[in-house]
Amino acid sequence: MAKAQVEAGAAGHGAEPRGKRTEAGEATYLIAIAEALWEEMERDERVYMLGEDIGAYGGAFKVTEGFIERFGDGRVMDTPIAEETIVGMAVGSAMEGMRPVAEFQYADFMSSGFDEITTVLARYHYRSGVPLPVVLRGPSGGGVRASSFHSINPEPWFAHAGGIKVICPAFPSDAKGLLKSAIRDDNPCMFLEHKWIYRRIKEIVPEEPDFLVPIGKADVKREGSDVSIITYGAMVHKALEAAENLAQRGMSAEVVDLRTVYPLDEDTVLRSIEKTSRALVLSESYRFLGIGAEVAATIAEKAFEHLDAPVERLSPPNIPVPFSPTLEDAFLPGVSDIEAAVERLSAW
Amino acid sequence: MTTELRQTDQGRPLPDDRLKHVLYLLRLCRYFDERMEALYRQGRLPGAIYSGRGQEGTHVGVASALEPDDSLFPTHRDLSAQLTKGLDLNRVMAQYWGRIDGYLRGRDGNSHVGDWFGHRTFAVISHLPIAYPVACGAALAYKRRGDKRVAMAICGDGSTSNGRWHEAINTSSIHRLPVVWVVNNNQYAYSTPNTLEFGVPTIAERAAAYGIPGVRVDGANVLEVYAAAKEAVDRARSDGGPTLIESVSLRWRGHAGHDPAKYMPRELLEDHMANKDPVKNFETWMLAEGIVTAGDVEEIQKRVEGEFEAGFEFAQSSPYPEPGDVTKGLWVEDGYWTSEPGRGGGTEAS
Ligand SMILES: Cc1ncc(C[n+]2csc(CCOP(=O)(O)OP(=O)(O)O)c2C)c(N)n1
Repeated sequence: MAKAQVEAGAAGHGAEPRGKRTEAGEATYLIAIAEALWEEMERDERVYMLGEDIGAYGGAFKVTEGFIERFGDGRVMDTPIAEETIVGMAVGSAMEGMRPVAEFQYADFMSSGFDEITTVLARYHYRSGVPLPVVLRGPSGGGVRASSFHSINPEPWFAHAGGIKVICPAFPSDAKGLLKSAIRDDNPCMFLEHKWIYRRIKEIVPEEPDFLVPIGKADVKREGSDVSIITYGAMVHKALEAAENLAQRGMSAEVVDLRTVYPLDEDTVLRSIEKTSRALVLSESYRFLGIGAEVAATIAEKAFEHLDAPVERLSPPNIPVPFSPTLEDAFLPGVSDIEAAVERLSAW
Repeated sequence: MTTELRQTDQGRPLPDDRLKHVLYLLRLCRYFDERMEALYRQGRLPGAIYSGRGQEGTHVGVASALEPDDSLFPTHRDLSAQLTKGLDLNRVMAQYWGRIDGYLRGRDGNSHVGDWFGHRTFAVISHLPIAYPVACGAALAYKRRGDKRVAMAICGDGSTSNGRWHEAINTSSIHRLPVVWVVNNNQYAYSTPNTLEFGVPTIAERAAAYGIPGVRVDGANVLEVYAAAKEAVDRARSDGGPTLIESVSLRWRGHAGHDPAKYMPRELLEDHMANKDPVKNFETWMLAEGIVTAGDVEEIQKRVEGEFEAGFEFAQSSPYPEPGDVTKGLWVEDGYWTSEPGRGGGTEAS
């Protein structure tokens, strides 16, 4: 077990300052998200943020570091530990014309506000026609040795709520452009920031104030011809690593990054399957009724005649995210698992 | 009754025409409640009914203290407060019958109604008390913008046992939000009495735990309720922060239409119906004060009955929603809620 070691502080909690872009203009995912928030706060004074410890402390992951100095405590509002009320307040203020962006300290604590999210936020517009331009954002995902209560992938719960757009970006530019789109969207949006990506992945990120990435559009991150890997979030990076390794062995994998998991961009997925005829659906949400289950069903239903092999799924079992490195590595799909799955599919 | 009334310096708590309107509202809400129950029992009303009978003093009293652009966040039990806020009876009744002219275009039924763009009332959600935190948000918006507006939320006694009741009041206190918290203590939460819902003698005294004023009023006395609500609304409007109002009455009927409420002691109900009837009490006072005559009361009653009949007819003649529209209106961009809905394509639900 090469990685059988606890990475101290890997979860980022109480971490270092957010940092800056490199001189070349590269930004981490964390910086890109902060830029999106900053620019939208500058652009539209109806936008405000609320959440726990987001003010002077700058948030558990330092996303909002420095915001309170610029925008004041009226627009960077520290709340008590009251998730139902954070969501409810976001809803009520949106009903009155504000554009709230609520931070959850971890996406895990979205379940503490579950009722307000699924019962009020998701259903209100359909019932009454009142737009709710609310963004809920929080760090999700595992692989950082943060165990059961700080590693969740809650996207299936909320995608299933029906009235919330659920966004799970994998790259800094997508994160920035999608978060800006979410803040400008008149519908409820959930923006899940994979904490494993925060400080690990950086790239050149556009600086134009109106740089937007459309919600509900997938993106092919690597072209390939033998097998399509349909994925999102941190798994995109695992898939790209696997695809690189496979290329050296003469296999060509296409990597489709969903970016938004609800609504799902079926067209881009189906186009990829038409091209490769083989599908590996890879997700960090649970296998049983997870996002991957829906994607696999869609492919089976709508691209059956293009398939040369059964759709394969790779995702964690429905158990709490375990702590010990050996356990968490066994729990999460790994690069070698992806390579093996692609090889199995190619052999059909 | 007269001696219990809070009087303003002018002698009466409200000008006579407003007092007459209060009497009209009390009569309207009572009549609506009785007739809807009758229709329900005859099998002529689909869905559910949640009677607010016996609590009209609370509902009319608190909602009368609001200005048109103040917002109201009610529950299933509080239709009388929404009617006080001004909702159109025709459209309310169209909602009960699942018709397109209902405020929610058939997407919800019964008292789960609301008219946000018109009368600033939140479309009721079952989960209790889910609108308390939402009221915090509306109040936050008023405060941030310096609007002189107030949010008011209502829930029942049982709802005060739920965590978000406490979350919301605590948060409103921290941020001094312009909100009025009303508890309609009708002594029962479904079958559960106050003694099994909380361990303090009154709900109002819990206000101390949040550092806000708390007041307990007699729900049988609409003017006492109004006076307390007005004071709280004025305080909120002048940046004095939130207030908790507990208005005590009794739920005269079962939790919902199906519930005979056999758990409720007979004597308690009889005492309330005989001595603590908010509608009768106020009417008696209005007559004694000479603000209305017996003839006026009769006229009010006629008006109420006429409006109910008209509402019933309106609801029956309103079309069902177009079934093809069922998935529309989830997202803002499909334009369903900003355009005219399809009418008349629907078939009657069984
Ligand atoms: C969170 C939640 N749990 C259960 C219910 C089911 N329920 C509907 S009304 C009710 C009793 C409510 O009692 P109270 O708050 O006193 O209000 P009342 O109906 O007496 O006005 C219950 C348990 C609900 N609506 N919400």
